Amino acid sequence: MNSFTKLIAIAMASFGLLPSAGFAAPPDAAPEGKRIQVKGEIIDTWCYYSGVMGGPDAVVGSAHHTCALWCSAGGIPVGLLAEDGTVYMVIKIDEDDTSNGGPTALRMAAHTIEADGIHYERDGLNYLVVNQVVSDLDIQNLTHDDYGNIPAFSIPDPNK
Amino acid sequence: MRYLIVALALIANPLAAQDFSEGSKARSWNLYAEQPATFEATVVDVLCTLTGNCPDNCGGGTRQLGLIRSVDDVMVLPLKNNQAAFTGAASDLAAYCGQTIQVDGLMIEDEDLNAKNLYMVQKIKAAGGDWVKASQATKIWAKQFPEAKGKGAWFRRDPRIKEIIGREGYLGLGLEADAAFIEENF
Repeated sequence: MNSFTKLIAIAMASFGLLPSAGFAAPPDAAPEGKRIQVKGEIIDTWCYYSGVMGGPDAVVGSAHHTCALWCSAGGIPVGLLAEDGTVYMVIKIDEDDTSNGGPTALRMAAHTIEADGIHYERDGLNYLVVNQVVSDLDIQNLTHDDYGNIPAFSIPDPNK
Repeated sequence: MRYLIVALALIANPLAAQDFSEGSKARSWNLYAEQPATFEATVVDVLCTLTGNCPDNCGGGTRQLGLIRSVDDVMVLPLKNNQAAFTGAASDLAAYCGQTIQVDGLMIEDEDLNAKNLYMVQKIKAAGGDWVKASQATKIWAKQFPEAKGKGAWFRRDPRIKEIIGREGYLGLGLEADAAFIEENF
């Protein structure tokens, strides 16, 4: 479905000329992907976007490593926060397409990686299929010096 | 000229500015950028929709799932289910792969972070069904990891998480860095 056809379809649906149920883009309407090389941190997108645990600077890096593990294992989409601030929703890494809590993204939680992949854009969101992790640079973002551990209970209190 | 006519029709169309909060009974999480939103959508496999890599049944719960809104064809990405337990929505939505459902929850729209079409699913209503809470993720996890049965939160018992923290520490910088941090902060 090209952009003009999509506009027509939306207009028809809006005027009641198409059934509302089931009007979904089939796979053959997939947007064109673009190959990119990008460097950034594997983040937990819920804490980053929702602000539930504070501002975006507090929910990345070492301060948030444990929570990033929890969220990745719990099936919250992982993102790649690029150096220019763009967040790519990571939907496949190498041969691992288990983006709902899969092992590859989990072991990279809070790591900075260099990735070669295909970038897709749809409805204002960026998606990334990582064809190759060129390098895994481990945790580079030492945020615990400024923010402690986020959330505070992520490290069990040894005195309790 | 054709593009102009369509564009003008869309601008004049009230649905172009539809308020998805109408009819929503979503519970506030007091998030900075939350907006209650209920809408009809089809549950899709995001990787399949974008790339054409389409296993049966949306991958059977292994992949992230999207919600393609019926009214405007926008693909909304759910980040969160209804549980306050670090859980996403894909496990809850997996049972509805390919179905057109009604959802109720919170939309996250934050211009400062370029956040749009991100969603927290609180309730799901299948065609002909009743509303159900999107709170199944931890139950599904418990079936996947029966060896982790026990007291306390799932994320303290998950063997994958325990293995990584045991090796890399809570900060991810090694056990020595953890020890120094704990000594200083607890």
